[in-house]
Amino acid sequence: MSALYPQTEALSSRERAVLNLYAISALAVFLLLMLFGLAMRAAQGRWINISPQVFYQLMTAHGAGMVGTVGLASSAIMWFFLRKYVRLSTAMFVANYLLFLLGAVLILAAVFIGGFGGAWTFLYPLPVHTMGIWSINAAAVFMLGYLVIGVGFLLFYLDAMLAVMRVYGNLGRALGWQWLFGGTIDKSHPTTVVASTMVIIVNTLGILGGAVVLVMCLVNAYVPRFPLDALLVKNLIYFFGHVFVNCSIYMAVIGVYELLPRYSGRPWGVSRPFLWAWAASTVMVLIVYPHHLMMDYVMPHWMLVTGQIISYTSGLPVFLVTAYGALTNVYRSGMRWRMPAMLIVLSMFGWAAGIVPAIVDGTIAVNVVMHNTMWVPGHFHFYLLLGVLPMVLAFLYHVAGGSSRSLETAGDRLSLAVYLIAGLAFVGMFLAGGRASEPRRYAVHFAEWLPYDRAASIAAALVIAAMLLFAIRISGALLKAGSGEKGSGEVPAHLPG
Amino acid sequence: MRFLRTSLASVVAAAAGIAALAVATYGFTAFTTETARRVAVSRHPVPVPAVVLENQAGARFSLSALRGKWVIVDFVYTRCQDQCAVLDANFARLETMLARPIAANRLRLLSISFDPGRDTPTALAAYLARFGGRSPGWQIARPVDAADLVRLERVFGITVIADDDGGYTHNSAILVVDPRARLIEILGWRDPERAAREILGKLEG
Amino acid sequence: MKRAHAGLAAGLLPVLLAAPPLQRMLEASMTAQMLVQIPLLAIAGMLLGKSLPESAANRIQPWNRGGATGLIVVTFASACWMLPLSLDAAVVSPAADLAKFLTIPLLIGLPLASSWPRMSFVLRGVLLFEALATLFRMGWLYLISPVRLCNSYGLSDQQRLGEWLLMAGTALLLCIAWQLLWGSPKAAAGAAGPPGLRAGRPA
Ligand code: HEM
Repeated sequence: MSALYPQTEALSSRERAVLNLYAISALAVFLLLMLFGLAMRAAQGRWINISPQVFYQLMTAHGAGMVGTVGLASSAIMWFFLRKYVRLSTAMFVANYLLFLLGAVLILAAVFIGGFGGAWTFLYPLPVHTMGIWSINAAAVFMLGYLVIGVGFLLFYLDAMLAVMRVYGNLGRALGWQWLFGGTIDKSHPTTVVASTMVIIVNTLGILGGAVVLVMCLVNAYVPRFPLDALLVKNLIYFFGHVFVNCSIYMAVIGVYELLPRYSGRPWGVSRPFLWAWAASTVMVLIVYPHHLMMDYVMPHWMLVTGQIISYTSGLPVFLVTAYGALTNVYRSGMRWRMPAMLIVLSMFGWAAGIVPAIVDGTIAVNVVMHNTMWVPGHFHFYLLLGVLPMVLAFLYHVAGGSSRSLETAGDRLSLAVYLIAGLAFVGMFLAGGRASEPRRYAVHFAEWLPYDRAASIAAALVIAAMLLFAIRISGALLKAGSGEKGSGEVPAHLPG
Repeated sequence: MRFLRTSLASVVAAAAGIAALAVATYGFTAFTTETARRVAVSRHPVPVPAVVLENQAGARFSLSALRGKWVIVDFVYTRCQDQCAVLDANFARLETMLARPIAANRLRLLSISFDPGRDTPTALAAYLARFGGRSPGWQIARPVDAADLVRLERVFGITVIADDDGGYTHNSAILVVDPRARLIEILGWRDPERAAREILGKLEG
Repeated sequence: MKRAHAGLAAGLLPVLLAAPPLQRMLEASMTAQMLVQIPLLAIAGMLLGKSLPESAANRIQPWNRGGATGLIVVTFASACWMLPLSLDAAVVSPAADLAKFLTIPLLIGLPLASSWPRMSFVLRGVLLFEALATLFRMGWLYLISPVRLCNSYGLSDQQRLGEWLLMAGTALLLCIAWQLLWGSPKAAAGAAGPPGLRAGRPA
């Protein structure tokens, strides 16, 4: 097999079917939720008229759905590459998918049948102060949906944890912690194992926090006699939400480590700084979330200050080793500029550039002015839309590109250009609106804000058009590879023992 | 079928487990003793024993003497600084809201002390006066016999535990006894309006 | 521990716990009942499981593949004894107390001991995860409840129990994390077969 598609990554027909399920569902959901996003943006620009209720329903579905689906898609990236080094169970990977599906159905039912519009963060006590718009049951079904999805991810991570420990003995060794302070680093220790192990640890803890706070909110919904401390609930929700989103990025980064070297022709192995970066982020990701709580003046001051300092630095170790590693990997490498490679470079740029407005936002002094302005969705759309999503697309383009159909046409490249430019414009309008104090979410917008909203809507429509083309091209190639082409790299049973 | 027997056993175990939980929680309605008592009593009324009490005037009477009338009961001790004070303030509200049936001799309020050693008739009278209770509509009394107190506490589901500082921690409720001398309903003690509505409903029904 | 010793301990522990002074002492406080008496009774059941001959365990094995049935029994039995009304009942009613002394060893400890070795890593993980989450949830609930949940116990006892549950959860979490991060490789591999590898190699 070629260097791009090593034999060790070949999919059995069953594995291919499962991966296709993940990929095609994720692409379809992304498209649908982007349309919801467009509807919100157009409503803010007064091009269409939707009631506040519907706006918040769309926003809740968009937020919860995007965060969940990015997690789902990047767990497929982790699964795909990790299974080369350790023995993962396909059954658990399927279980994760099925539970995700069930959870998604519950969430959609809660939002569109039950009318739940309490945002993806379901901050207490909003879900139970329904103001007659939705019922307690709708809020409960929404939270139940999260719980079910959490169980799915838990199963996937536990299975991966066992698999990693069978090969490396314990998680510390899988993270390469035996080499932090000395010793000869085994250069062949896979970066994928380091990143996956970090995610396994961190996200299991995140899900634990979620499992506690969700059940407590459920108890409170039906037995209001137990008054929850709203601030504690908020802390836990942001703890688990923040960890989950970060882990999505870190799972997707695995694709960068695995794929970029193949397109550049240069190896990318572990090094001491690399191990230190992942070790540091393992700890920091867990304690950084207080930067979401700067408006909560009752929070202990030291937590906010810690949150601020760490929020400057938490993403940084992994980001720096990854961005620096990517740069040196690409620099003068005679890179093969195919779609996956270009998408990876775009993702590095989006991730890097997204961190700047994030740091600005994470600064207490700025936050006092800009919190709850469009600056906030601006910064996170930057690294989600232009950072993480391109990582996912790069992976999918790579896998789908293994089939005989070429995914390197002018159309693909044009779509990528449109995605980049329109994506930048879309995010730029959020940030510009934020600077002009435009409030986020549903609000009556002054006339001087409307240009931002409208330009953003046009840009969003272009992003969606590009995404539609990506989705069609990828799905088509994946399905084609699944049917018909049995000869090309299909190895039915690839695992010894 | 390797898993047939295990699946079977699991299903049986789960069914038994759900059944056990359902029984223990009165069909998933009660998780604390307090709510469980409420559900149990409203389903199966409990006969009230005919114990002898001594009231704030020092007069002795048997609970059976109140047969034929509705009796609204609560349990207190007169030195109580917090819970009983709220409870009996609410009882005073009930006395007003239920003035009609009281005047018609169809209903009585009765506070029972679970601290008969200290709650002498004098203490009881002072306590009743503090809340503006007017006999015979509202009386306060103590059991004469210590064994009777235990029986009353059991029937009415009152648990009293001694504090470190000489007082008691205890549960409270508004207890409804029907004219056939059966405890038929246990109502929350914090909401006298609701209790009055429910009681009036029963009187009419 | 030898089988005979385990059997002896399994028999002695409940008798000891049932001795009136100890029983009264442990049931006088919610914290002691929940965190000392009940766990010790469960441990007695586990010891009982250890003392049984292999053949007994093998006979029920077809009914308890992967420890599934045992897990279900343990889950429901623990749920029953986590109800505040059960704790109350055990204090005031001798019949309920007897039920406690029987069901906790036999329906929690014993099935746990005989099922745990058969459970897969993932199932064990789910069980521990749920146990942790339950400790945190109950601790939190007891801390914030403005009303007494047990008629037999005071509010301060309930809140102390809440704190202890949170501490127990934290301690358990740290133990598990330690074991996973630095634990001995052999223990982690557990029932592992030959590691199915394609390209990786042990570090
Ligand atoms: C064409 C693409 C997209 C469009 C048009 C879009 C549009 C929007 C809009 C208008 C909002 C509400 C902002 C506000 O007023 O506060 C929003 C919120 C949000 N979006 Fe997007 N979005 C897009 C892509 C994405 C992607 C790819 C992700 C994640 C992977 C994402 C995640 C979120 C989240 C988490 C929120 C926050 C919801 C909340 O405030 O509770 N979006 N989006």
